[in-house]
Amino acid sequence: MTAFLVIMLLILGIPLYAAWKGEHIWSKMLAFASIATKAAIMILLVSVQRDDWMIGIVGVIILSVGNGALMLLAQILRRLRDVANL
Amino acid sequence: MILQWISYACISFGLFLWLWGTWPLVGRRSPLYKLHFLSVSDTLGSMAIMIGVLLRIPREWPLLVLALISLALWNTILGYVLAYCSQGEDTDG
Amino acid sequence: MNYLNFALRLTIWLLLTADFGLVNLAIGILVSLLLPQGRGGVATLQQWLSTLGKVAMAVPRAYIEAIEMMVRPHRHEAIVREPVDPTRAPGLIFLDIFTITFTPKTIVLHYDEEGWFEVHQLVERRPEK
Repeated sequence: MTAFLVIMLLILGIPLYAAWKGEHIWSKMLAFASIATKAAIMILLVSVQRDDWMIGIVGVIILSVGNGALMLLAQILRRLRDVANL
Repeated sequence: MILQWISYACISFGLFLWLWGTWPLVGRRSPLYKLHFLSVSDTLGSMAIMIGVLLRIPREWPLLVLALISLALWNTILGYVLAYCSQGEDTDG
Repeated sequence: MNYLNFALRLTIWLLLTADFGLVNLAIGILVSLLLPQGRGGVATLQQWLSTLGKVAMAVPRAYIEAIEMMVRPHRHEAIVREPVDPTRAPGLIFLDIFTITFTPKTIVLHYDEEGWFEVHQLVERRPEK
């Protein structure tokens, strides 16, 4: 189980690197969306490993409310671009 | 015992999908191209991992199933919104 | 009565409370009936069932497509337009978009009110223009 968590941490490094390096705004958005999902799943696995369902509830809540903030941000970016192009 | 192994197999398969689908993020392709791969890794891979978790703690199945459904819904809709908002980027900039 | 709305609310209620007793079931049905209803087109039960069946079939197909993408690299992109009946209920169109976007090779870019989906696809060979 710990091995799984270590592998997950390593994989989580890829979108972090992409977000840090990404020169393109949409690549950054994609990387952040990916980080959000991966972190929630990691919380679930941590809860299984420690056998503490309280932590798992947090992961479930994160997954079920989703990342509406990113959607809003995407809409704002699109609007900004439309306004700038006028 | 057998359930344990199936659960490990599910989690490993999900991790493999994660790795395979996240890798193109560092490349230089269009955001839409990356989005296809992210839908493999974040939706399908995470669903496989969650099924593996579900097999390990079946007593919490109602919340886990809720999380599974909302994971699929939210990630897919987020993909659609991101695709819709990022289109046209390549033509005008 | 909107079937999907009702079923969705009841399912979320039951999964949240994790109690399938008669009293809790009654409370759930009452709550999901009393919550404000959205307005929208009416669809027959048969349409709902066939669309939900397609959604259920999308899950194994998504995994198959993911494995296909691994075995044979898909390096090219294409945009196709797919017709859709514009008189369909909004809930059904939402499920259509969900089904198309859920499978990894295709993503809906834009839904045109006149009855078109713009679908972005990953393909193996360069499309002829």
